[in-house]
Amino acid sequence: MPLDTSTYHLSLLRLDGRRWNELRRLSAQISTQAAADGSSYLELGNTKVICTVAGPAEIRGGQRREGAERDNAAVMVEVGVAGFAGVERKRRRGDRRTTEMANIITSAFTSTCFTHLYPHSTIQINLHILSQDGSLLAACLNAATLALIDAGIPMSDYIAACTSGLAPPNPSNHDSADPLLDLNGMEEQELPFLTVGTLGAGERVSVLTMESRVQVGRLEGMLAVGVDGCKQVREMLDAVVRRRGERVLASVVS
Amino acid sequence: MPREAEPSINERAFILQALQENIRLDGRSLEAYRELNISFGEEYGVADVQLGKTRVLTRISSSITAPYPDRKFDGVFTITTELSPIASPAFEVGRPSDLETHLIRTLETTLRRSSALSTESLCLLAGTAVWSLRADVHILDHDGNLIDCACLATLAALRHYRIPDTSVSGGELTVYSVDERDPVPLALLHHPLCVTLNYFEGGEKVVVDAARVEEQCAEGEVVVGANPQGEVCLMQKGGGGEVDAVVLLRCVDLAVAKVRELGKVVDQALVEDAKRRDKGGMSRELQAENAR
Repeated sequence: MPLDTSTYHLSLLRLDGRRWNELRRLSAQISTQAAADGSSYLELGNTKVICTVAGPAEIRGGQRREGAERDNAAVMVEVGVAGFAGVERKRRRGDRRTTEMANIITSAFTSTCFTHLYPHSTIQINLHILSQDGSLLAACLNAATLALIDAGIPMSDYIAACTSGLAPPNPSNHDSADPLLDLNGMEEQELPFLTVGTLGAGERVSVLTMESRVQVGRLEGMLAVGVDGCKQVREMLDAVVRRRGERVLASVVS
Repeated sequence: MPREAEPSINERAFILQALQENIRLDGRSLEAYRELNISFGEEYGVADVQLGKTRVLTRISSSITAPYPDRKFDGVFTITTELSPIASPAFEVGRPSDLETHLIRTLETTLRRSSALSTESLCLLAGTAVWSLRADVHILDHDGNLIDCACLATLAALRHYRIPDTSVSGGELTVYSVDERDPVPLALLHHPLCVTLNYFEGGEKVVVDAARVEEQCAEGEVVVGANPQGEVCLMQKGGGGEVDAVVLLRCVDLAVAKVRELGKVVDQALVEDAKRRDKGGMSRELQAENAR
């Protein structure tokens, strides 16, 4: 059923009751899988992602690599979408969209992780999407950040990501189109949106993708709202890591 | 696995140092495109674009098929790319590399998902027969900036292509051959193009239309797809070093300005091609459309 956004400007509330600058509930845990080097489970609203990290590990036989990359670890990302993740059961294999997402995540973490500390090795990140309801790339980036931290792989800072979009313009005043933070699945299908991932809490953008048509003038607002949201996400990710750290410390000390 | 040559340490240092003084290897300004040549084939829908040493050929072809069952009123538009060793030793036939995925996703998003081509105009008989348009993009030579070049070639080919005229009467579809009725141009809603910007020094220096060697030394790239009306339809910064958000916005503004320039070059090339085909000035007389 198409999203009914006619009341957005009247009540200033979205369909799920949020205001324009509210994130969905973000809850995450790390070290969820004991066997993996690093693992995490992240829920961003109804989008649920599991991430496991294996590495740094030795390169297996068939993976020869080129000169410059041999001095750094190679980050390899695989993204798998469960068949029950969407509304209809769909078993997608090697979808180009998920491949592109995996490539974006690979290049984002290749530049953030200190790969020069682990030459001749690979860091394998596996992402499984259990349920998708918008902000898929953002959730994957956040989950991968947590899992990498759990695996103990040094990085320059958290990559915190979220989406921001543009509400439909007010019918009486066509110039006002308010930016929205953190779109859910239905909003993503109808409204233009972008995914932005920042490095830490500053304004340094590490990942930015937008696939919808937007007037140039509106971009600044969307980007500003997105970067703001990333700051909030970073706070939450940090809290998750610290909570886990405290628990580990408590179990060791006692 | 085949590899292409990496720039040597000297080359890399030279390029980076020259950029600190705003000098590029071939003497262009940071925001200048290389020489752009667009030529069309004898048939409609074949465009050969040369951007410096990068060369891309796109061919549009059409056939009639049944539509997808969940989209009965939409035609089909597919874009396929061919990256073969003819373009660069780094390419292998049959194995889609990351670059190929990136290229095809960018072309699809800019030209297909942004509704540049109105797929509803390709519908002939709802549910039974629609036009299936196919754009084959062949990379002939790779010297950097494949995305811009491929997008230019595909858009030019789409604007150049003429699809056979059809008529429907009482549920019967007639497709007119070239002898019976002149083929008609495609219904393009807007003309989006891509601009790839490579950045150095954490976003301090932004370079447009990087040659291959500049691409290899860059810290990262930002691809912006926009149309001359000032709408951005694609923005992709897929990792690489991080940049300030302000720099990104500046990139977008620069890209929109460049798209307008490129659009004019494509317009000019199409006008010249029309003049070349229109020998003797008879085509205005023979046209079935009236000036309204």
